[in-house]
Amino acid sequence: MSAPTRPAPRPRRGAAPRPSAPSRLRYTLTQLGVLVLIIVCIVLVEAKWDRLLEAPALSLNYGGLMIEGLLQNPFSEPYSRYWTDAIGLMLESLQIAWIGTVIGAIFSFPIGFLAASNIAPRGVVIVTRQILNIIRAVPELVLAIAIMLPIFGLGPLAGALAIGVGSIGTLGKLTSEAIEAVPTGPGEATRSSGAQTLQTLRWAITPQILPEVIAFWLYRFEINIRASAILGILGAGGVGSLLAQVFERRDWERIGITLTVIVVVTVIVDQISGAVRHRVISGVPVPIGKAIV
Amino acid sequence: MTAPATAQRASTTRPRRPRPRVGTFVAILAVLVITVWAGDGIDFDLAPLWTDFGRGWFIIQEFLAPNWDYVGRTIGPFIETLSIAVIATLVGCTIGLAMSLLASRVTTANPILYRASKIFLSVVRSLPDVGYGLLFFAIVGAGSLAGILALIFFNIGIIAKLTSETIDAVDRGPLEAADATGASSLQRARFAVVPMILPNYLSYCLYVFELNIRASVVIGIVGGGGIGSSISVEFARFNYSNVSAIVVLLIVVVFLIDLLSQSVRRRLT
Repeated sequence: MSAPTRPAPRPRRGAAPRPSAPSRLRYTLTQLGVLVLIIVCIVLVEAKWDRLLEAPALSLNYGGLMIEGLLQNPFSEPYSRYWTDAIGLMLESLQIAWIGTVIGAIFSFPIGFLAASNIAPRGVVIVTRQILNIIRAVPELVLAIAIMLPIFGLGPLAGALAIGVGSIGTLGKLTSEAIEAVPTGPGEATRSSGAQTLQTLRWAITPQILPEVIAFWLYRFEINIRASAILGILGAGGVGSLLAQVFERRDWERIGITLTVIVVVTVIVDQISGAVRHRVISGVPVPIGKAIV
Repeated sequence: MTAPATAQRASTTRPRRPRPRVGTFVAILAVLVITVWAGDGIDFDLAPLWTDFGRGWFIIQEFLAPNWDYVGRTIGPFIETLSIAVIATLVGCTIGLAMSLLASRVTTANPILYRASKIFLSVVRSLPDVGYGLLFFAIVGAGSLAGILALIFFNIGIIAKLTSETIDAVDRGPLEAADATGASSLQRARFAVVPMILPNYLSYCLYVFELNIRASVVIGIVGGGGIGSSISVEFARFNYSNVSAIVVLLIVVVFLIDLLSQSVRRRLT
């Protein structure tokens, strides 16, 4: 790829000549293209680039204020209130994300079967898939402001429902793909023992896809935690509303506390959810001594 | 078949049902308890769906009648959003590649550096895109610069996680070959690791670009410029039919970019 640092040794007589370097034309053209694209974008974006120079100093300054807020005694007023407020609202965000995920899981499971081409008739599959595509194309934010907030009013419920409907789209698609990838053996076995369609789905398909599908649910839960923070900024409850509030007042000490709560809780929940996912996918770790017995 | 005949063949009796596992019950119970706690916490109630539907219907009606005349005025903000996404993707993905080399055991032998990068990345990832939007809005003021900076941080987290996992799973042969020629760890990363992960990495970059288009809307709402700013202005003025026009256009743009990027990604991998 890069130019040789040393001149290539002269080929000895009789030795095979060095192969010529492969053409770099496409590579160079791509690089040029990307360069032009960047320049065009930088011109079009009209950003106030001069602010970039002040940013590091300002960030240090604000960062210092945030750390100051964190270092205050968390049991003295008003800091104890700041901490409990942030933790309480973060828990509400978790509740929103959980309910959203439960709604998504409950609805997406049967929909996944309807969208699987090896289960449902062709017509049903096409219609269901289109519905799922439409849901996935609409951002949750739009679902929230266009449908849920007007009907359910400002509050966590609107957020949970928007996230729930949004989750149906992705979970339904993932579930249907898992069902389509299932080996046909167990299904044939249950049918040959006289099982009806529903029994086949229950005893042959479901056990095969369940670990994977549960892992999808947990993964979606992790995504939904972040989504619920976004919706909070529009007034759909949770820690997002607090975040927007403290940022509006430039209350840097409180911003520091709130951001810390968000980061710590998210990391903890991600770790737990990741551990459960791993356990669901790869099963109980069997100690070697016990496995023989 | 008579009764004595079956009795003789004792070996074909039905196998005993496996005992239900305690762990499964505990897990189901835990899920139920959390669901009830969460539902109670957010006052879960579907009654507004029929009692307050009229209140929402008025707004939904406006959404169903998009104001197409407004579309002309959104072209500028849309170009701004695309530019923000392109710049943020390029910068974020470049830094993300460097971070992912640091956050994989394959390329980083030093355990302290490896651990530190992992922790740094998980902190970067745990803040939602909107958090960065608010943060940079406060630091550099309203406008597209705040949006670009916010998306860069958002991208570093995603790219570094996906790419470092790809690096972890890389084929060891070329690495050993590079080691055998006496390559330094930087040369090893450049000539043995990067060529192997390049198709996956580029595919992640395109995926991140898709995400950026969506995310720049949200970031625009909190002051990061682009189409999101237009949405929040029209929303604040209760011009729902204008919001609806933007949203429809946005869905089309997102859909087209997804199609384009997916076809490129399919060729890459």
